Amino acid sequence: MSVGIRLDGVSYRYAGAAATSLRNVGLELEPGRVVGVVGANESGKSTLCLVVAGLAPAVIGGRLEGSVRIDGIETAAMRPHDLAQRCGLLSQNAATQLSGTTATVFEEVGFGPCNLGLPVADVVQRVWAALGAVGIESLAPRDPARLSGGQGQLVAIASILALRPRYLVLDEPTSELDPAGTKLVAEALARIARDTGAGILLVEHKTDVLAQIADEVVVLERGAVAFSGPAAAVLADPRLVELGVESPAAVRLERAVRTSGLEWSAALAKALS
Amino acid sequence: MASASPITAADAGLPDYVTRQPSGFYRSANPGTKLAVAALEVVAAFVLPGWVGPLLVLAVVLATAAMARRMRGLAAIALATSPIVGSILVINLFLLPGASDPIARLGPLAPTWSGLSFGLQTVARLLAFSLAIGLVYLTTAVDDLLADLARRGLGRRVIFVVGAAVQMVPATIERAGEIVDAQRSRGMDTEGRIWRRARGVLPLAAPVVFGALTEVEERTMALEARAFTAPGRQTLLRVPADRPKHRVVRWAAIIALIAMVVLRATGRLV
Amino acid sequence: MDQLTRWVRRQFTTRVVVLMPVAIAINIVLGATVQQGLKLPIYLDSIGTILVGVLAGPLAGALTGILSNLIWGYLLPSPIGTTTIGPFAITAGVIGLLAGLWGQLGLFRPRRGRRGSLLAAAIAVVLVGALALYTYARAYASPDQFANITGYKTSDFDQSRVFFLGVMVAYVVLVGVALYLRRDVGAVLAIGAGLATGIVAAIVSAPIAAVVFGGVTGSGTDALVAAFRAGGDSLYQATLKQGLLSDPMDKMITSFVVFFIVGSLSRRFVSRFPNGEKAIGESPGTAPQDSPQS
Repeated sequence: MSVGIRLDGVSYRYAGAAATSLRNVGLELEPGRVVGVVGANESGKSTLCLVVAGLAPAVIGGRLEGSVRIDGIETAAMRPHDLAQRCGLLSQNAATQLSGTTATVFEEVGFGPCNLGLPVADVVQRVWAALGAVGIESLAPRDPARLSGGQGQLVAIASILALRPRYLVLDEPTSELDPAGTKLVAEALARIARDTGAGILLVEHKTDVLAQIADEVVVLERGAVAFSGPAAAVLADPRLVELGVESPAAVRLERAVRTSGLEWSAALAKALS
Repeated sequence: MASASPITAADAGLPDYVTRQPSGFYRSANPGTKLAVAALEVVAAFVLPGWVGPLLVLAVVLATAAMARRMRGLAAIALATSPIVGSILVINLFLLPGASDPIARLGPLAPTWSGLSFGLQTVARLLAFSLAIGLVYLTTAVDDLLADLARRGLGRRVIFVVGAAVQMVPATIERAGEIVDAQRSRGMDTEGRIWRRARGVLPLAAPVVFGALTEVEERTMALEARAFTAPGRQTLLRVPADRPKHRVVRWAAIIALIAMVVLRATGRLV
Repeated sequence: MDQLTRWVRRQFTTRVVVLMPVAIAINIVLGATVQQGLKLPIYLDSIGTILVGVLAGPLAGALTGILSNLIWGYLLPSPIGTTTIGPFAITAGVIGLLAGLWGQLGLFRPRRGRRGSLLAAAIAVVLVGALALYTYARAYASPDQFANITGYKTSDFDQSRVFFLGVMVAYVVLVGVALYLRRDVGAVLAIGAGLATGIVAAIVSAPIAAVVFGGVTGSGTDALVAAFRAGGDSLYQATLKQGLLSDPMDKMITSFVVFFIVGSLSRRFVSRFPNGEKAIGESPGTAPQDSPQS
């Protein structure tokens, strides 16, 4: 059995839509790795997330061509609750990620395991493990409706982790967060990849976050992969700007230093990172 | 009816803020018991003849509320019925069809004794009805009520709809309030003549409706990603206690309810 | 049996289950604003119910209506929570059920430039007019003392005719506004469906209102009940007459609003609901394998 998520020649068109939203996309995500995805608006990032997590076409219909396999199994053959236990999906708005029916963060994180009908003892164990992986055990008694944006997103991540997926697909998880919230989430993701060995696909327009935690980066342009490779190389690529993606601050600084004729030293780069 | 669930929360290491139970005979009663008692009270208020039903029920409800220390909350619920209480009294006092025992003549208006009596009786019945159910609301967390209904076999979809709606209403009101404030600052009328008030509805309704609908797609994906459609029964973390004494009360209430309906239907209770 | 189970399950997909609490919140918040806040003589508390009925089907619509009133009445703190609204859950359920049927018949479909739509609209007008005429003739025909109060004799002031004409004028005005705004004959059918829903809702509500609270609800419609009582009508008559004025108006306005909402939502969004294709008409590029499973 092959391990990892593999997309081969994937094209996807929404039901009732005339144009295809993804065209001939190939992608690989291995456990323990963080793959970043960048691209302009409408370049197919969110669609890619739904396809990788298997919810397109399973939940929203549409037409998929090519193959999407999670650990060797075609997603087309899996049902949504099976998919949820293999590949967790999280989008940008924390408020819509939470069930909106629970009174405490503890129960919110337990919502997924409870849906699976696991014994209470298992649910309890999974909830504490998930809260611990994100580092928010102290939030457990709080009301999920009264959390800050960053805290809410962390609870949403823990809620997904409680289903013990091997892969996480995150669609701009920091876009609605302030710098402090972004930092919280980025650190939590780095820790999850390191400690739990989950493979993470991270769509993120804040390239600084990717520079910090991504191993590889894929650049999308109008539904197709423009180019991809190791994170450092892709994020330093001058073509990013033409594709509507802002380079990380460090890259912009280096560029500014060089264009103004100053010397860019290894010591300076080290001091920045 | 109360079949033992295969999955229970007993001593599985749940934190106490999840398992905490209310205390006191009435407040700690199982939500099913409280609903059965409230149903009996509501039916009694309408089925027992004349003043007996409403007054008896009011006495029982008030005594229970005093025991459960919820008089203040009950007073608020009673107060909330004041617009309809006012309408009932005024309309019946002056306009009861066929009433011919005027209290006084005030120009074209003629309040009648029978109108007053009928109005007061309707109000007593309304209060009995509102307070009986209000007391359940005041002493039962919605989560516990839903957990109990889930334990008795209500499906996870209905439980989700009710739980989410209860949390969504205050959030929507907050949003609507913000919209009203914004529009008032741009000169919209929320007071004044009927037509001016009516014109204010659309600019209020449209953002509320569309704002809520835009989230449906994301919430659907989120719910699927939480294994909502997994087959089988949901695990329940909250399981409201159901003690034998409360079970006795519940069955007594159900039997009394059935007896009352049967007696009424067979005409032995007029 | 198997087919029935499938029909039921099809209406309660995850997407519908997510839409229902949203619809319930819309019902309660708009209803509370209009009835308790603005004290208007309409209700505007079934936009969500009719929307779910049209998009998801009769059962989902009925359940949305029933739960709306139960939650509004019994699970929310006062002053929003109003226990007197609970018993009208029956009416709300019927409204949702009807909306589901109208949706399946395609009455809320945009019909701009479709062949046969003018004929369908004409048929709708005739049917709705006949239904209204019959109901109003029956409900308002009873001899009463209306004349004593107003000074008009029954011979020169025919209630049934006046109110029938009043409601039909409202229908024509609303349709006119809709046609002006959208240039879409579909509005004739959608608002007509609202009128029919309103008549049924009034007939279902009247006994509830009369038996439970003496025909009074504490909202803006009480003034109408008082007026009919002043005319010497019995409790039941007065509440029915009030309902036959308020309900068709309210449901026509609500259907008008829902018709606009459905028309303004993206085709992609609507088509993912169980009845979405029926609600907006099949899109030409949709193949069978495009349809979602859950």
